[in-house]
Amino acid sequence: MTPSRLVQSPAPRLTLSLESETGARGRHVCDVVERLVDLHLVRGAMIVAPDGFVIAAQLPPALAVEPLAALAATLGRELEINAARLGGTPFQTALFSADDGTLCLGTTRIGFVVVLAEPHANLHTIRAAVRDAVARIEAVWQEAAPPPA
Amino acid sequence: MPLLSRMWASRRALTLVEAFRRADRFRREGRLPEAMAMVGYGLGLDPDNITGHLLAAYLHAAGRAMAPAKAEFQWVLGRDPHHARALLGLARIALEEGQPTGCRELLGRALRFYPEFPEAQALLGAVTALAAPAPPAVAPVTLDRLRLPDHGRSLVVARHDGALVGTGDGDDDEATRAAALARILVVAAAALTRGGFGAVRRAIVEDREEAVFARTDGAMLVALTLPRTTAITQGLLEVNRLWAGVRQVDAPASSSAPGTAATTAPESASDRRAS
Repeated sequence: MTPSRLVQSPAPRLTLSLESETGARGRHVCDVVERLVDLHLVRGAMIVAPDGFVIAAQLPPALAVEPLAALAATLGRELEINAARLGGTPFQTALFSADDGTLCLGTTRIGFVVVLAEPHANLHTIRAAVRDAVARIEAVWQEAAPPPA
Repeated sequence: MPLLSRMWASRRALTLVEAFRRADRFRREGRLPEAMAMVGYGLGLDPDNITGHLLAAYLHAAGRAMAPAKAEFQWVLGRDPHHARALLGLARIALEEGQPTGCRELLGRALRFYPEFPEAQALLGAVTALAAPAPPAVAPVTLDRLRLPDHGRSLVVARHDGALVGTGDGDDDEATRAAALARILVVAAAALTRGGFGAVRRAIVEDREEAVFARTDGAMLVALTLPRTTAITQGLLEVNRLWAGVRQVDAPASSSAPGTAATTAPESASDRRAS
């Protein structure tokens, strides 16, 4: 038995889990990630499920997707779990800056939208883009959800 | 697949492999209910299938239902005690349950069998910091000289491990807030390091009503809670002002009490840019 997803980041291309699938929601997450990566001074973006599973990712080749996704999902869950202790209402977005870059994270029903940006990136723009990505995912999944019985 | 083949396939019952393949496909599209239905169907065909139970565990975790996820991971480990994925899944749940030591042990087990398991290695870095024994707590002091902005709700000055060092004159739940923020910053630091960005310096965490603006140097943290509508620049300016104030307050004490804010590093380039 070997861990089934012990893979390193492939070439810098869009890694969409549904590569052979052309479902509307598969295309949608792909589009969300592409829009984020198109932003000025954004290095990469991904959508990660709360269990650490990579739904879609576009990252620089030097970055291994799986370990970063595992940490991003853990961070997202920590933010969700600690929201009540921090402020009282559900967590929406978070932004963490270091000397060499910024990580922005937003929460959706399918997982976490994650953006990696250069240190000089406009934080307002990044946060707004993540909010927009979250809203777009929520809108599509809301639309697709079966009506209440 | 040709149309006739697809039509034929749709008319017959799915095999176990097909069901799990479809479940995985749905999972990859974030379609959890459909994925769970497929896994349920597959486990109906083979109730003791390890892959099915592992998929079920993943899907519960993806749906933020940690209790059933934990049960499924434990079921898998009951059949295969060295299953690295199940160990990792349980480790993540242990971390969420506030058991970093248990999490670290589970990751250690996974890495003993698969030393090159990248996710387990990444998580272990964060967990090691969380599981480190905290130095003795100090009695928090009210920082009278630090004026909370008019629209600010809470000011927290804490050590990197979340132990409260000082408070403003705002809310009275700062100890809880400090501990939560310190935990988050530890995981964020691991993620930033993994992303090649270096040590975490600033954070902005917003919920539906408020935004917590924080500054840290790895030894201590200052966090200020402001309305969510606060502009990023304004919030960072406020927290930078308080950060400078905390360092001034601490400076006289640093000669007699090394190890608190005396360990504060010089302002980084990114901090100066934010100002």
